[in-house]
Amino acid sequence: MICLENVVKTYRTRRGDVKALNDINLRIEKGEFVVICGPSGCGKTTLLMTIAAMLHPTSGIVSVEANSLYAMSVKARAKFRAENIGFVFQMFHLVPYLNILENVLLAGGIVADNNKNTKALELIEQFGLGGRSYHKPAELSAGEKQRTAIARALFNNPKIILADEPTGNLDSDNATSVLGYLSEFHKAGGTVILATHGVEAKRYANLTINLHNGKIAKPDKS
Amino acid sequence: MTIPGLIFKEIRHRKTNFALGLLAVMMAVALFISFFTAAKASNRETARLMLSLGFNLHIIPKDTNMNEFLLTGLPDKTMPEQYTEKLASQKKISYNHLMATLQKKITWRGLDVVLTGLAPEVSPPGRKMPPMKDPIERGNLYVGYRVAKALGLNESDVVEIKGTTFKVADCLAESGGTDDIRIQCNLRDAQEILDLPGQISEIRAVDCLCFAPTDDPASILRKEIGSLLPEAQVFHTRAIASARAKTRQMVRNLFAVIVPFVVIACGVWIGVLAIMNVRDRQQEIGIMRALGYGSGRITLLFLGKAIIIGLLGAIIGYFVGTVLALIFGPDIFELIPKTMIKPDLSLLLYCLVFAPVFAAISSFIPAMIAVTYDPAVTLREE
Repeated sequence: MICLENVVKTYRTRRGDVKALNDINLRIEKGEFVVICGPSGCGKTTLLMTIAAMLHPTSGIVSVEANSLYAMSVKARAKFRAENIGFVFQMFHLVPYLNILENVLLAGGIVADNNKNTKALELIEQFGLGGRSYHKPAELSAGEKQRTAIARALFNNPKIILADEPTGNLDSDNATSVLGYLSEFHKAGGTVILATHGVEAKRYANLTINLHNGKIAKPDKS
Repeated sequence: MTIPGLIFKEIRHRKTNFALGLLAVMMAVALFISFFTAAKASNRETARLMLSLGFNLHIIPKDTNMNEFLLTGLPDKTMPEQYTEKLASQKKISYNHLMATLQKKITWRGLDVVLTGLAPEVSPPGRKMPPMKDPIERGNLYVGYRVAKALGLNESDVVEIKGTTFKVADCLAESGGTDDIRIQCNLRDAQEILDLPGQISEIRAVDCLCFAPTDDPASILRKEIGSLLPEAQVFHTRAIASARAKTRQMVRNLFAVIVPFVVIACGVWIGVLAIMNVRDRQQEIGIMRALGYGSGRITLLFLGKAIIIGLLGAIIGYFVGTVLALIFGPDIFELIPKTMIKPDLSLLLYCLVFAPVFAAISSFIPAMIAVTYDPAVTLREE
């Protein structure tokens, strides 16, 4: 279970403080598919990063499975992230000088291991990229890049996938395909938290959170 | 993926950044190497020239009649032989190759000659060097050109001087100087012949060849030796070497200005390239942080690359610097023959240690910037 209590995140800018998250209280149960909706700049990414143990809130508590994330040391948080969370981004964020196999393996740390190699190749195959294992990201289509990013996100068998506008750079076919993969992960028992300003993802959600100016406007349980 | 694997793949991907970094280290190393290789050759050549000129430091008894000495080149007084050991026992001194001599004008077989007794050379502690003049064994005599010619002496002849028998070890070639009228033997033999046991008339030596043109070597040596032997006085001759030393000092001064400037410029250059590299890799760093890579591994990616640049730059810079020294050294340090410039492998070892450290220090701030990047910010950028 992911729990946010009175979470506030304030950014200091030259023009004054900006409250990206304003007193967020939220409970996400294990195995939920949560879609965070809202216009650009409403705080979706900030909320995702806060849940991802990557952005320290100004105040409030963020806990996963009763572990308060920001009470942990930086090292422990990094370990927690590596073991529990998979990331999918709109811009894919693949490392340009690594091939597809190496990008997926990057999630497995820096220790070379034959078992990891086999597992990565299986995942790549599973995402329909079998013939592309040794291609660089620049040689792939947007859909293939995003599938690689999902393969990388799944490599460590995470409990949670955080997806920030994962379909933002994809055509509708690829977008459907990506949402399908995330849905499969959800059906297998994983938790998906997806931030988007589109509507298509809502079809897969059992909880939709509407964010407005850093505040939860209205949670929709379906 | 291992850290070295990631570093090498990134280098291959961003070749220009790597090549520019390498160029900066290579330039700094090449400048050092070319200067030090040529300067070392210049020092060797100066030393060789000075040694070929012979002893340039003369220590004689203080009460020597200077008019007589300057006219004849022979001190008319003597001093204890132990003075040589006293001078040779010092550590921080500016002379070497100490040789005690006893010289007296005598008439031998109706001919005026200079009997010269020579002791084996001694060196101060830790500065033992091959002798400039081979020691003369007792009973051997080296006869000057004019003496040998006038008296019809040949090598292996047996002769007698004031009751002491000698074998002519060699008849010396014409020198055009006072050596032509000398007969040289071991100091002990000369002391016995002249009945001056334990006495010498002069200590010859060579200065350290380390004086800058701005120094006044005569006063430095007088101060050093005067404090040890107040009963002696010092003469110092230094002609040809001073011009060479002046050139060397001039180039050294020039490099004292240029080298720090180039090194700082190269350091800044490497730092700027590393900052550009960090900016290029913001999202890559962000995703690695998101995947659980800690600060240590991220730092290693940047410092590891800097160390590789340093190692390669050291090797290439060493060879480029040596070639530059061979091409330009003889012109910059006047009078050095090309054959005197030799590659010095010990400098390569220094470069292999210092260049990577230099590159790593230059990349340290950018590496710290990379570590402190907020992944939440970089991953949010579209």
